Amino acid sequence: MISNLSFKFRHRRLFNDLSLTAGPGDLWHISGPNGVGKSTFLSVVAGLLNPSSGEITLNLASKQILDRRAHLEYLPAEANGLYLKMDSVQNLRFWSQLRGLKLDDSAIFAALEPWGLNHPLLRDGFPIEKYSTGMKRRLALARLDLSPVPGWLLDEPLYGLDQQAITVFRERLRQHLSRGGFALLISHDLEPFRDLITGAKEISSRGSA
Amino acid sequence: MLTSEDKREFVIGTLLQSLIILHWCMVFFFAPVDIHQGPVYRIMFLHVPSAIAAFGSSLGLCVFSVLALRNSSERLMAWAKGTAEVGLLFTILTLATGSIWGRPTWGTWWTWDARLTTTFLLALLYAGYLLLYGSLAPGPGRTRVCAVLGILIFADVPIIYKSVTWWRTLHQPPSMIREGGSTMDPEILWTLVSGIFVMCIYAAWMVRVRGRNIMIAEEIESASYATLGAR
Amino acid sequence: MKATTWSQYLTLVRQGLRAEFVDKERLISPVLFSLTMLVLFAFALGDLDQSLRIRVYLAETFLTALFALQMSFSRLFEPDRQDRVFELLRTYPISYTSLFLAKYSLVLILGSATLIPTMLFGAFLHQSANQQLFSWVVLGIGLLALAGLGALGVLLSALTLKAQARQIIYPLLYFPMTTPVLLAAVQSARLCLDVGLGSPELKSWLGLLAAFDIIYITLGVLLFTELMDES
Repeated sequence: MISNLSFKFRHRRLFNDLSLTAGPGDLWHISGPNGVGKSTFLSVVAGLLNPSSGEITLNLASKQILDRRAHLEYLPAEANGLYLKMDSVQNLRFWSQLRGLKLDDSAIFAALEPWGLNHPLLRDGFPIEKYSTGMKRRLALARLDLSPVPGWLLDEPLYGLDQQAITVFRERLRQHLSRGGFALLISHDLEPFRDLITGAKEISSRGSA
Repeated sequence: MLTSEDKREFVIGTLLQSLIILHWCMVFFFAPVDIHQGPVYRIMFLHVPSAIAAFGSSLGLCVFSVLALRNSSERLMAWAKGTAEVGLLFTILTLATGSIWGRPTWGTWWTWDARLTTTFLLALLYAGYLLLYGSLAPGPGRTRVCAVLGILIFADVPIIYKSVTWWRTLHQPPSMIREGGSTMDPEILWTLVSGIFVMCIYAAWMVRVRGRNIMIAEEIESASYATLGAR
Repeated sequence: MKATTWSQYLTLVRQGLRAEFVDKERLISPVLFSLTMLVLFAFALGDLDQSLRIRVYLAETFLTALFALQMSFSRLFEPDRQDRVFELLRTYPISYTSLFLAKYSLVLILGSATLIPTMLFGAFLHQSANQQLFSWVVLGIGLLALAGLGALGVLLSALTLKAQARQIIYPLLYFPMTTPVLLAAVQSARLCLDVGLGSPELKSWLGLLAAFDIIYITLGVLLFTELMDES
């Protein structure tokens, strides 16, 4: 669904003539050495940065979409996009409202449940800043799961997670893909995803791929 | 080792310098002595052209900003930064000459008339622009931010000027720096016009030189970032 | 999926208000600052002549309010800077106009919460038996000024979001640009208290204030969307 050819200049050409096509059920693994530009690539796809040339197109039900932000959910590498002084319910509700979802409490609790965050003490009035790294990441993944979008852009999703959370995430990812969704993944640890990956793209330090 | 480009710059520079010398000859030998103010008034020939150059730089800033925004071009931002620097230089010159002129003529170092006040505020804006430019990392984000600021500054200057003018006319009779009004001798007028002309060309040339320097500096900077990735 | 512009706007406003209440310090410190400043001014100036009271009251109140507002404006996007919330926001399908209007509404609400106590307390401190300093019209003028100052504040806050030395750069750019609104507001208020409501000059200054507001709000929306798009 996304076919893109993109070069991007930052201070220099980070990648050159990169293209990939992702269809329903596709999980693309983006690899390459440290600092080569994998996260930047994902940022470009997410719409945070503009490519120097090339384009990204998204087609749904054979119609081209103009604003792809409505169909993509981005998970950054070392941050979670959470308001630290608010609690988990307020955070999830805010982000889901921006997508046009009107969720009542039970739907939000249900979203928190698989990640072990549904405990009332953790949930109500407990500011996110008190969460551990892994718990914040799990909340971000809960938000990901809640979003009714076909495309997931995952930058080191397993960062800070324990084994149990990794298992939960693997399962949610599998379900997402089987529903017809697709995902672009950057991850140091590939073990959990081995059987789900359908394609790989390497960004070499020369910039071509 | 001089390239032909260096030689060309040298020639242009010499030409400009001679224009300036010519202008100052006009100032001292051609324009007559003012009855009221004496020889001091000649500082006007430095003050008014500087003011025009300072405000003209804001126009240049806006033009480059709009172009940079349209084309998402970081190179054009180097020119914009150049105009801001030159603008700052000329605002300071205007304020200094205004102050020096004011002391023997009216007895005060500073007066809150509309032009000087606006020039002062413009100096602050240029300084703020340069600080902001320096504190952002190079890239499309900086281009966008500084271009928008450049446009905002240019749009705001006439508004500030008008509001201060209206405010001043309420408080006291304008102790405005006289251009001589209707009794300006043609010699004075011509000297003034030539001064404005020379100053603006000089400012444009400074922007050109400075713009190229900034572009070279930024290329060096981006080359150093490139070596980060090549490791 | 995406939300309608109106519901996006509401969500953003609610979140902004929540961010303020959750971090009490953000809410309270501007007001405390104002009140402290006013008390200090009162000490420094002592007992004043009747004729000066109005001027001093207006000068103090507007200045103090401006400083307090400037402080809270520069921190406007602060809650969104944590944990890269702002970047994530830009990957969501929100319209930047509704983001600007949401922030602007926040500014109006919170700004009034600072401005109104400041004006009331200032009047209270300087009031005397023969001179009523409090006036609904003056309060209205203050709020009108807030409309213009706020638009500028939001735009500048977005511009300096990533700047390192924001504490210095923000006031340096902000204060010169607020000059027109400030002058118009103080003039109108002074005429209102000195001369009374029937003054024709008052009407023209009020008109000017309204015009400045419209200009700044329009500039604000246009430049903000320009800044955010593809940034």
